[in-house]
Amino acid sequence: MMLKFHMNENPYSPAKSIQKAAIKGLEKINRYSETKYLNELKKLLGTYNNLSSDRVVLSHGSDLLLREIINIFSKDRKIIMVNPSFFPIAQYALKQASRLTRIQISPPDFKLDTNLLLNELNEPTLFIIDNPNNPTGKTLIDNSFAEKILQNKNALLLVDEAYYEFSGQTFAGLIKKYPNLAITRTMDKAFSLAGLRLGYLLMGDYFKNHFSNFPAYLSIPTLFAAIEALKRPEYMTANVNKILNEKIKVEKELLKTGIKVFSGKTNFILIKSKISDFGKKLIDKEVIIRNLSDEWIYGYYRITIGLPEENNILLSAIKKIYDDA
Amino acid sequence: MKKIGLIVNPIAGMGGSVGLKGTDGEAYKKALELGAKPTTPQRIEETLSLVNRKDLYFIVAPGKMGENFIKKFDFKYEIVSKIGKETNADDTKKIIREMVEKAIDLLIFVGGDGTARDVYDILGLKIPVVGIPSGVKMFSPIFALSTFAAAEIINNESKQLIEKEVLDIDEEAFREGKLGAKLYGYLKVPKNPNLLQGKKESSNVSKPEKISKEEIAQYIFEKIENDVLYILGPGTTLETIANKIGVEKSLLGIDAVCNGKLVGRDLNEKNLMDLIEKYDKIKIIVTPIGGNGFIFGRASKQFTPKVLKLIGKENVIVVATEDKISRLECLRVDTGDTETDNNLKGHFKVITGYKTETIIEVK
Repeated sequence: MMLKFHMNENPYSPAKSIQKAAIKGLEKINRYSETKYLNELKKLLGTYNNLSSDRVVLSHGSDLLLREIINIFSKDRKIIMVNPSFFPIAQYALKQASRLTRIQISPPDFKLDTNLLLNELNEPTLFIIDNPNNPTGKTLIDNSFAEKILQNKNALLLVDEAYYEFSGQTFAGLIKKYPNLAITRTMDKAFSLAGLRLGYLLMGDYFKNHFSNFPAYLSIPTLFAAIEALKRPEYMTANVNKILNEKIKVEKELLKTGIKVFSGKTNFILIKSKISDFGKKLIDKEVIIRNLSDEWIYGYYRITIGLPEENNILLSAIKKIYDDA
Repeated sequence: MKKIGLIVNPIAGMGGSVGLKGTDGEAYKKALELGAKPTTPQRIEETLSLVNRKDLYFIVAPGKMGENFIKKFDFKYEIVSKIGKETNADDTKKIIREMVEKAIDLLIFVGGDGTARDVYDILGLKIPVVGIPSGVKMFSPIFALSTFAAAEIINNESKQLIEKEVLDIDEEAFREGKLGAKLYGYLKVPKNPNLLQGKKESSNVSKPEKISKEEIAQYIFEKIENDVLYILGPGTTLETIANKIGVEKSLLGIDAVCNGKLVGRDLNEKNLMDLIEKYDKIKIIVTPIGGNGFIFGRASKQFTPKVLKLIGKENVIVVATEDKISRLECLRVDTGDTETDNNLKGHFKVITGYKTETIIEVK
């Protein structure tokens, strides 16, 4: 069986209580979701982020929210993005934006030149950034720089914090202060709910007007599972800690093989391999990692942290390839 | 039946195993003295064993340049031309010429950058190719990623073609540890996602290269000012811009236009200096080489430090398709003059489409 290390999923299944909640939801799927459950989930997400529930928008995956914001604001604003960034959204922006500026971040540091960015905010702009960045795993902006952007009247700032629970860094604390800030989150990663696709938006006042009628098409199993997961966040926290500890081990072992490892703040690791067809060679050993040559620079790969026993298989496969090279 | 030319450079890649960087010229003899063994048989046989199309008719080079390998498989084929005991670039070119006379639809060749240059000399952009990598140096992005990828390209041949660079690597410099790559030309390859070296299309959302170039051309066209001399560097993106302006551009040369008219073609340094004297406002438009990102010092040696100093960084416009720019770590310059290189360093806003740009550093 092929072992998957390419989708940034959580290797741990949801807790039994969460699975039971989803199954309970299945019993009601002849009905549309009831508002009371949607409101309950919004309230729990508000509490989780220390915000009121009217600042929370639910969605079937955070991609839809990111796309919606691009749709709404790209007509009369320049979009600025970092390259590379979450590929599906970057490609969507490329397709939709009437004006688009991308700022390339380069190896080995993948640092964002903050002055360069501030200089670009001289006209109405929507700046979209994934923080931490995918695929590099780097946090590109900190709180004080986010405030510098937000203080510019031309700028709307949209931060994708899909990996917040792994990085521990969020700008949610700035939402009440800055109307021009919005944050997308997901319960796909840290909460182990990728198969249910639960995304949400935390929004400053400026965004609220545009999302008052945004439809929340969520299935009842999704709602029930998400509510249960948020009632017991300690299960998620424990898994996140296990993944982060495992990541330290994997990075250490990868370095021993001579692979270039770029350390980041997510549940995945960016690497660079000089071995040609490295990804294909791993597939031959029934291990799949994300080959970034498909969208980005040749030789770069992204590895999601799996279960300890899965990671050991991955590391053995990589070691074998390097020994044979 | 689809007619496929098949030619193998039997000595490509031999230098690698004995620590030589290439087998051009005298290096081949040295490789033999050092006990180098051919690597191409394995490469072509691996590829052919994976080809599963039944509608192919092969026009094959004789002996060790093709025949010896295809005869182990169950393909329909005929042999063209004759070769002696030792083969060289002239044989390659002669055989490809004969294949063209036989009206091949696609050429499969096995070799490295040197072989790609020989193929380009005869085919240019006339007939598409699939390059199976087997040389020591394969910096040209025309090559398939692997023998497996080459077979995939043949099996699922895309009707859409894409132009890829053939690079001319200075082997002498390369042996001394320096990487000197010049743009030599372009070959057409079937556009199959993920299977070519260096550049691959990412998804059906990304724009086709041709549209990307047309968008760039349209944007530049709208920005063009009267009485300004525009010096266009080499490349197909620049050719698309020239077409939009309505002038015919030399693909690999440097041309100049002003007020919609061609005022210089295939210019050298002296021609450029003469033009610079005549015009008050001058802009250069260039595109980086795919894969390594050089904007000056490789594909366009005519832009000498003297020329660049007079024109200035602020008058350099860089254009590149999204696909090309996304795959670069940075832009590079190597004019041979440190001061000129330093003046060009910093960031460039590269035009990548209509009102679309990428800010990228020159290192």
